[in-house]
Amino acid sequence: MSRPVLVRREQALRGGQPLSFAIGLVVALTIGIVLLLGAGHDPVAIYERMFVAALGDPDSWSVTLNRAVPLGLAGLAVAVAGSMGLWNIGAEGQILAGAMMAAGVARIGEGWPGPVLVTAILVGGVVGGSLWALGPAVARSQIGVNEILTTLMLNEVALRLVQWLIHGPWKDPDSFNFPLAPMIPDHGRLPTLFGRAHVGVIVALVVIALFAVAVNRTAWGFELRVAGSSGATARYAGISLERKTATVLVMAGGVAGLAGGIELAGTADRLTEGISNGFGYAGIIVAALALMRPSGVAAVAVLFGAVQIGGQSIQTMGVSSSVSTILQALILFGAIGAGVLSRYQVRMVPGDPGDPGGDGVQVGEAT
Amino acid sequence: MSDIWKRFPGVVANAGANLSVSRGSIHAVLGENGAGKSTLMNVLAGVYRPDEGEVRVEGVAHRFRTPADALAAGIGMVHQEFRLVPSFTVAENVVLGAAARILRRQAIEDEVADLAEQFGLATRPDRPVWQLSMGERQRVEILKALWRDAHILILDEPTAVLTPAEADELGVVLRAMADAGRSVIFISHKLHEVTGFCDEATVLRGGRTVAASVRVADTDAGELASLMVGSSPMTTERPPAHPAGPPLLEVSGLSALGDRGLPALQSVDLTVRSGEIVGIAGVAGNGQRELCQVVAGLRSATAGTVHLAGDDLTGASPRKLFQAGLGYIPEDRLGVGLAPRLSVVDNSILRTYEAHRRGPFIVAERAEAHCVDLVERFGVRTGPLDDPMAGLSGGNLQRLLVGRELSGRPRVVVAAQPTRGLDVQGVKAIQDLLVEARDEGAAVLLVSEDLDELLTLADRLVVMHDGEIVGEFDPTTAARSEIGEAMIGHGAGVGS
Amino acid sequence: MTIHRRLLGLLAVVLTLGMVASACGSDEGADTKAAFIYVGPVGDAGWTYAHDQGRVAAAAETGVETAYVEAVPEGTADFGNHVRDFIDQGYNVIIGTSFGYMDDMLALADEYPDVVFEHVSGFKQNDTNFGNTFGRMYEPRYLTGMVAGSATESNLLGYVAAFPIPEVIRGINAFTLGVRAVNPDAQVEVIWTSTWFDPAVEGDSAQALLDKGADVIAMHQDSTAAGEKAEAAGARWVSYNSDMSAFAPNAFLTAPVWDWGPRYVEIIEAAKAGTYKPDSYWGSMADGVVDIADIAADVDAGVKAAVADKKAAIIAGNFHVFSGPINDQDGHLVVAAGETMDDGSMLGMDFFVEGVIGSTG
Repeated sequence: MSRPVLVRREQALRGGQPLSFAIGLVVALTIGIVLLLGAGHDPVAIYERMFVAALGDPDSWSVTLNRAVPLGLAGLAVAVAGSMGLWNIGAEGQILAGAMMAAGVARIGEGWPGPVLVTAILVGGVVGGSLWALGPAVARSQIGVNEILTTLMLNEVALRLVQWLIHGPWKDPDSFNFPLAPMIPDHGRLPTLFGRAHVGVIVALVVIALFAVAVNRTAWGFELRVAGSSGATARYAGISLERKTATVLVMAGGVAGLAGGIELAGTADRLTEGISNGFGYAGIIVAALALMRPSGVAAVAVLFGAVQIGGQSIQTMGVSSSVSTILQALILFGAIGAGVLSRYQVRMVPGDPGDPGGDGVQVGEAT
Repeated sequence: MSDIWKRFPGVVANAGANLSVSRGSIHAVLGENGAGKSTLMNVLAGVYRPDEGEVRVEGVAHRFRTPADALAAGIGMVHQEFRLVPSFTVAENVVLGAAARILRRQAIEDEVADLAEQFGLATRPDRPVWQLSMGERQRVEILKALWRDAHILILDEPTAVLTPAEADELGVVLRAMADAGRSVIFISHKLHEVTGFCDEATVLRGGRTVAASVRVADTDAGELASLMVGSSPMTTERPPAHPAGPPLLEVSGLSALGDRGLPALQSVDLTVRSGEIVGIAGVAGNGQRELCQVVAGLRSATAGTVHLAGDDLTGASPRKLFQAGLGYIPEDRLGVGLAPRLSVVDNSILRTYEAHRRGPFIVAERAEAHCVDLVERFGVRTGPLDDPMAGLSGGNLQRLLVGRELSGRPRVVVAAQPTRGLDVQGVKAIQDLLVEARDEGAAVLLVSEDLDELLTLADRLVVMHDGEIVGEFDPTTAARSEIGEAMIGHGAGVGS
Repeated sequence: MTIHRRLLGLLAVVLTLGMVASACGSDEGADTKAAFIYVGPVGDAGWTYAHDQGRVAAAAETGVETAYVEAVPEGTADFGNHVRDFIDQGYNVIIGTSFGYMDDMLALADEYPDVVFEHVSGFKQNDTNFGNTFGRMYEPRYLTGMVAGSATESNLLGYVAAFPIPEVIRGINAFTLGVRAVNPDAQVEVIWTSTWFDPAVEGDSAQALLDKGADVIAMHQDSTAAGEKAEAAGARWVSYNSDMSAFAPNAFLTAPVWDWGPRYVEIIEAAKAGTYKPDSYWGSMADGVVDIADIAADVDAGVKAAVADKKAAIIAGNFHVFSGPINDQDGHLVVAAGETMDDGSMLGMDFFVEGVIGSTG
């Protein structure tokens, strides 16, 4: 008799991340096989479909990349704040706010030329998201109100506001009283890169890269990281926390808002309640997987997007949405578990703690 | 334990260490920080597995995989940080995780009380742990190990959190346990405790055993210290005095509030001149901390002024003060003085990153060069400079911090508890740096709870009590008793 | 009213185009495969469940392979991704069952001219391969109103409704007309939930109506939460979408229900035969797309007989629910005696009839 226990490693695995990631993935996919067999599906065909749909050809890649854009930007919105030790749980609402502002711009700028309108829509997204984060930013920096609560609560407010707009003032007059905002003008849509990928992919990549460089290489980012380590250390180093807290939260909101603008002009084409599609919450997972480092967000977002696109695709093979969701969660947890495994290890220990014998099986040992 | 080897990436923590503890004795394990004491104890307690070597308990070889295995063989460890549930009672904490039966509160309280009495451990089994002092909490940890029938008890620097009186009590308890046939392994680097109540001592240096099971009665503190540092015993000579120059730090009428909004500093007047070290003695919590913080710009004053080399810098920001020539070594190294999760390079430019800028960027080469310079000049032992600061040992953390603060040749140095918790060599290194800064003309304000340190280093000594300066002494002539009286608020100090 | 006129114009254009284009059907395919995209989970016992029942029935009857995806949100890329996945796998009939899929379907129909797209609950179509389907749910709603109007003792009935859109408003009005046909003193109070499916909100809304004294709860929602509250309060319940008696056996009175099977058979058969022709189909009780569920056993036989008579009259075309005289909420005559509302007016309905408490805003 032996039982597995989780033991903290004496040292975190050096370079163990990719390996433990692979192990986590294999474990998740193995559990997935059991799950799929239990639900009466052919796991090989299902996994093949997942892969093909997400990464099988340029067209699939274009879909996955489009999905990675809002995930990556939302992840960045969480990670930038996280670098400073702040929790931005409000990306969902900031995306909606960005989409609202962008939709407003699209209404005003119907007569503007394409490039101007597209740019204005994206800028509108940034402004909308920033404004949405302004309240929590000021409350946190001036009177110390916990940003977790304020940003989270504002998500619901943003959703209600979108509903009100769609059911009220922005209802399409041509929709016979149906709750539907009008489409944005064709020339306001994001140009296509390849397949169905739109230029939002490049915009997001550039923004993520800019933030990664800013956090890791600039004095601004240095201050951010010091503040994330300890507020007292930051004051000692001469960093003004109040202004920094506020700017970082507003910037995070702007990044999420940009995702709202991109979704509006890139995929949804009109303001809808579902436009944020849970990206804001998924962004928290993206940021956590990227260990709160903006530089890691892009890769994680592509992985996450591929899992989502592949996972949704298998529903067309008769896999129920709940099984598909469990499978997606499994794969992501596998990846998170990998992070844990690089700091902990599973050891088999004798069932009777008094018995010193028995060589244990160690999972994830790689030194 | 024989020929224990334990390697970590880039470090050999134990390189053939030996330890033999006899039944019924109190056995000291001595060594500097980084000598391999903690690793060896963690191997014994089942936290680490050795790469090579053998652990025998009462003649039987063991391979511990978990602390539970070690406990099953009768080895229990009391860690430096306690692992107690604050809202549980003493009795509940003692039996937590160990009892596989339904618990009746009264029964376990009685059993715990019996056990405590057996070894003279004064405790109140029905009290929640959060109400207890540190000393009482430590006794709960010891009870936990005893309850699990540990015959070999490892105490990792047990006196670090205790008052002197509590430390003495602990000695009595340990003696009772030894007399009852149990063995105690006592890790420390406070030599007077070792000579005070240990029977035998094993000294580690560089991961090896340099002296095994020395009988304490046959040696003395000086010899043990020399074994630890591997050179001559620690000097207690006063560094040569220096003629004091013009006043560089002038504090007058300074008052400030403490963390709880109550007055913590009351109208303090203090002058430190170029080329002198002014020591501040006092029982912790009498305003020393707040004084340093106000001077360093981390706490605002309610009244009074701070002048640096004649300029009024009251209320200036920490950065402005640093630029004006104030080096500050804060009491809380990891929480204030350093950013433990950031790299060694980042920490070395914590105060001067603005100077490493080109446009918005920090020039990595320049920052790294500065870091390498600090590491070399101040003898900091580090791994890769991009690794987190937290990976450094306590002494090396402090060397980097002090080096960083002194490298710009500050005119005024405020050092709060700069040597607390460091090993012998670390203490010596930091003290030498402070003396060197003084010799180069800096005005040094030194706060310490170690009176010996103050008497050795300070050119003048002031005593603080209840937020006020209550006396000034000449360290070469003052009697310790006199200073002690002043520290507890009795008697007027020799006038200044 | 301009909206109505515009709608009529649109219908006329659509009709003309439909006839012109009648010859151009989809290619005849030996292996027709139909894919369904649902907004909710098939286990919701409501809207999506009813559609999936229809899918299963149509598959059995036509022998065509079918598949579905559930819980696909509106207004995201997900819908299009699923449709493309299906088409990749050889599906050539795509049926989307939520209003918000409309414009995506229109665009996709343009992109894939060989695939038949049928949209349930929308109003757009093209002239080759994209049509829409809906049902005259107001007919059975009226009948359920008769049952509810007979059951109430407090003369206050509650109506938990999702959004103030014409479809829902029409249902509330038909229900109220049915109630007041048997009980002229009764009133129907509406609460808007702003959600199609949120058991917590639906339950809270039902509870608020019960607390105000309503003793029958009707609903235009997709969960069973309102019924559970009615059951707990000892009140009665008119469910929606399907027979939900199992969820509240004592409260359940009856329900207006969907039967999508016949319509789906029609679409699939047409696609198979290559004769599919886009249409704005609005199926009635006579077509079998909508119906009233079995009425609870404890309801008086006289009420049941009256409902059966009215149902027969509707099917026979002898009775129209929205026939005058009908007053609006404020007592103004909207439909004069002897007149009936036309489809255009019903499709754009934006007022409450007399007897409804609440606002269409």
